[in-house]
Amino acid sequence: MRHPNQATLALHAGGDLGAMRGWWTARHVARCAECREGVAGYSEMRELLPELAELPEISWNRMAAEVKANVRLGLEAGECVRPAELPLQHGTVKGWRAAVVFASVLVLVGGCLVLEHPAPQPAHVYAAQNAIESTRDGIEYQAGESGTMRLMNGGAQKAIYTLDAQGSMGARYIDPETGSVTINTVYAQ
Amino acid sequence: MATTVLIGMSDAIEPVLELQERQNRFVSQHFRRIFVQIYRLVQNVADAQDLTQEAFIKALQHQEQLKDEQKAAHWLSRIATNTAIDFLRRSGRATFCELDEAPQGHSESPEAILLRSEHREYLEDGLRLLSARERAALIMRDVEGLPAEEVAARLNCSKATVRSHIANGRTKFRRYMERRKR
Repeated sequence: MRHPNQATLALHAGGDLGAMRGWWTARHVARCAECREGVAGYSEMRELLPELAELPEISWNRMAAEVKANVRLGLEAGECVRPAELPLQHGTVKGWRAAVVFASVLVLVGGCLVLEHPAPQPAHVYAAQNAIESTRDGIEYQAGESGTMRLMNGGAQKAIYTLDAQGSMGARYIDPETGSVTINTVYAQ
Repeated sequence: MATTVLIGMSDAIEPVLELQERQNRFVSQHFRRIFVQIYRLVQNVADAQDLTQEAFIKALQHQEQLKDEQKAAHWLSRIATNTAIDFLRRSGRATFCELDEAPQGHSESPEAILLRSEHREYLEDGLRLLSARERAALIMRDVEGLPAEEVAARLNCSKATVRSHIANGRTKFRRYMERRKR
């Protein structure tokens, strides 16, 4: 005869088995003195346990007042701590986001600058042996050893020079006498 | 200008007072039940009071969960059980019942009080042999008489797991009783 294990007997004593298993165990226990004794032991134990439900004498009103006051205190302390924590978390998140955005912008601007000004010398544009240079009087184009061409700014004191990554240089200025605007662009090839 | 500020302040204060009133009502309504529930698990008045406060603070910090009253009561019971189980795990220490806290009837003699206290201590010694969850399951089922489904809901686990906790609890407790008899 196969006996139910102790866990099954323990559950059977409290009526905690499922219908089929309960029925099988009950049938076995009815015939088996050893298992019956086991179930009786568990039942005896279960009868003792409710003693643990007894409460000592408690002044409920005093305790309720204390609990309420302490709960209020705890909640307020929690509120005091919370605002200090949250900005820190938000600040950290914002800081990270700002750093990423800042780094991206920096990379973008750096990239644009490199693309716009690939040559280290802003005042010179080299094309093979040729060079364009801005001078005090205008734009000077030097074709290797063979010769130099100079495009004068017509006496303008303040000319604005622009360099192009493609190898050109431009000068914009206003003629002080006529007031006309002149734009010169020299392409080096 | 001053009037405007005053109206603004009273508008801000009123919901706070209303909230505090609601919180106090919630504590009053459930305090005794939660205290008893925790006391049965930890078997010590001072610890049970501290843990009751802790459970209420946890619950009230998430008030959005408290709109439905029935659900709130159930949810609070779960918080209380978990708080007590965490405490039992954390402390792992004996929680003796003080002699002057021992349950007593008005007509009891000092000898009877002492006997009762000893018997209670004997039962508590047995409980200490169980894990926190076994202890909680056994007390909820055999002391409070809750059905296994309710115990499972409070412990946030399956009915099968609860049965296993109950079976282990009863088996260990019975072995303890047999050892003490010898």
